[in-house]
Amino acid sequence: MRIPLANLLAKSPLPRIGELMAAVRSCADKVPPLIEALLHGDQAGVERLAKETSILEGAADEVKNAVRSDMPLRIMLPVDRRDVLRMVSEVDAIADCAEDVGVLLTLRPLDVPVGMRECLRDFVGGVMETVRAAEQLVGSLDLLVKAGFGGAAAKEAMTRIQVLSEREHAADKLQDQCAKALFRAESEMAPVALFMWTKVLNKLGDMANHAENVGDQFRLFVAK
Amino acid sequence: MDAVTLVLAVTAISGLYMAWNIGANDVANAMGTSVGSGALTLRTALVVAAVFELGGAMLGGSEVAETIADGIVRIDGLEPIVVAAGMASSLIAAAAWIHFATYAGWPVSTTHSIVGAVLGFGLVAGGPSIIEWAVLGRIAASWLISPALGGLGAYLLFLSLKKRVLHATDPNRALRRGGPIFVFVIVTVIVTWLLTEARPLLAVDLDLFPAMAWAVLAGCAAGFATRAVMVTRGEGDHERLFAVLQVVTACFVAFAHGTNDVANAVGPIGAAFTALELGVTEELRVPPNVLLLGACGIVLGLATYGFRVMATIGREITQLTPSRGFAAELAAATTIVVASTLGLPVSTTNVLVGAVVGVGLTRSLGAINLRVLRGIGTSWVLTVPASAAGAAILTALATVLLGR
Repeated sequence: MRIPLANLLAKSPLPRIGELMAAVRSCADKVPPLIEALLHGDQAGVERLAKETSILEGAADEVKNAVRSDMPLRIMLPVDRRDVLRMVSEVDAIADCAEDVGVLLTLRPLDVPVGMRECLRDFVGGVMETVRAAEQLVGSLDLLVKAGFGGAAAKEAMTRIQVLSEREHAADKLQDQCAKALFRAESEMAPVALFMWTKVLNKLGDMANHAENVGDQFRLFVAK
Repeated sequence: MDAVTLVLAVTAISGLYMAWNIGANDVANAMGTSVGSGALTLRTALVVAAVFELGGAMLGGSEVAETIADGIVRIDGLEPIVVAAGMASSLIAAAAWIHFATYAGWPVSTTHSIVGAVLGFGLVAGGPSIIEWAVLGRIAASWLISPALGGLGAYLLFLSLKKRVLHATDPNRALRRGGPIFVFVIVTVIVTWLLTEARPLLAVDLDLFPAMAWAVLAGCAAGFATRAVMVTRGEGDHERLFAVLQVVTACFVAFAHGTNDVANAVGPIGAAFTALELGVTEELRVPPNVLLLGACGIVLGLATYGFRVMATIGREITQLTPSRGFAAELAAATTIVVASTLGLPVSTTNVLVGAVVGVGLTRSLGAINLRVLRGIGTSWVLTVPASAAGAAILTALATVLLGR
């Protein structure tokens, strides 16, 4: 039928970013139990949870590819297409890092230095808070589109970006404490263990970093 | 039956068929935006379209009709029977092309088809020298300018709506204050235009000032009515208040469409009838009963087929909320009425598409399929030669058959 107006408005790929975020969140949610298993010296649990994380990361990748193929050039979006793609990458990177944490912990059985136990829990908690803040922010995308990226919805989004940024900063601080605790125990540890721990801590920290990058991309949405 | 009666009968029937086509597709496209946003139900949309199409055609449809009848081709050097046969050929070629293109799913415009067809007839009947190339150039330019203008208008309008109403601390209050003023301006301008410019039905031709006095009165009435309706809607989502305004712009769109697109069917009929009755030397006037015939054909097309198209659009463009629909419709309808006053046949659908894209440029729509825009270009690159060729062949055939 000759109905240009019926074809004029296409399905927006933006709501699917929320879908991706949900998939990434369920992948990241495996990290706290993973660390708990490690703290309890349950290597079998670590192996199992690492595998689960890996499977969930694959699921998130599928959603990511679906979002990308939902964005042909002929679609005009209220936001820059490249910004959307970058944001999708950042969201996806959270899951990638979560998977990497799992992989690192299965490469070589690791003991948690006694002095680091408490602050490792806190650090993982801080990272998860940051991921949740990113999820909250992505959740405001729908309203933001409805409001045409302005007004109260934009203010609300800016507040959430601010919260996300604060959470990441807090997680950063907790990471530093973990690192200090780690190096206090350096003389009692095998150098390889020390090396692996630095990598694990960095990967955990990267989860929070990528979550914050989601906020930075989001800022571009609102500002333009 | 003599040749004259035969030609007139063919002209009238093909004109009605053309009008049916316009009603089935064009009008449905024009009203679909209001159905999609929920401002009008399918049934009210049908009634609004019927009433205001008719009104627009009768009150303001003659300028464009006359452009199509004798603005593109200088018919005064031709034999009356050739003019009538040529107009019938044009109508058949244009309507057949639209039918074919619709079947193939191409977004062609009835306006582009009829302009191309009349051009084809002129080329065969009198050669390039009787074509008003300057007029044709203006029309072609208007096909590019009008969607752009609709888009620009909608962009600016929605930008200011966002700033002043949607993002105000109390959108409902802002809208109850501003909405009636909007309606007042629209109604005042239209009524002034009707009382001073519109012909042939309203042969009042008032001077500007008395006309404006009446118009302001009508505008006030409409403004207060709007305010009253808005107050009864109470608090809640401001889009519900925009729906009230969108009813007004929906009427305006139907009216604007009537002033411009009914001409695509009645222009040629008018030319054929006046040529045979009065001779081609008379200054051409499209008689009101011919306008009425065209308008009825359109309503018929709408009622028999167009409602289905309208329902489809209504389902597809629910993202176009009343505030967006209001801005797009107001900008599009204004552009079209201005074009009508200038006697320029433009495509309502294309102007409306331009206006929706304009709203989208304010970052207020989810995702716009830009491939539709390509239709604006291809439809006339393809349509004008195709319908011109069709009309040329039919006109050549008719002149041979009539022994001229």
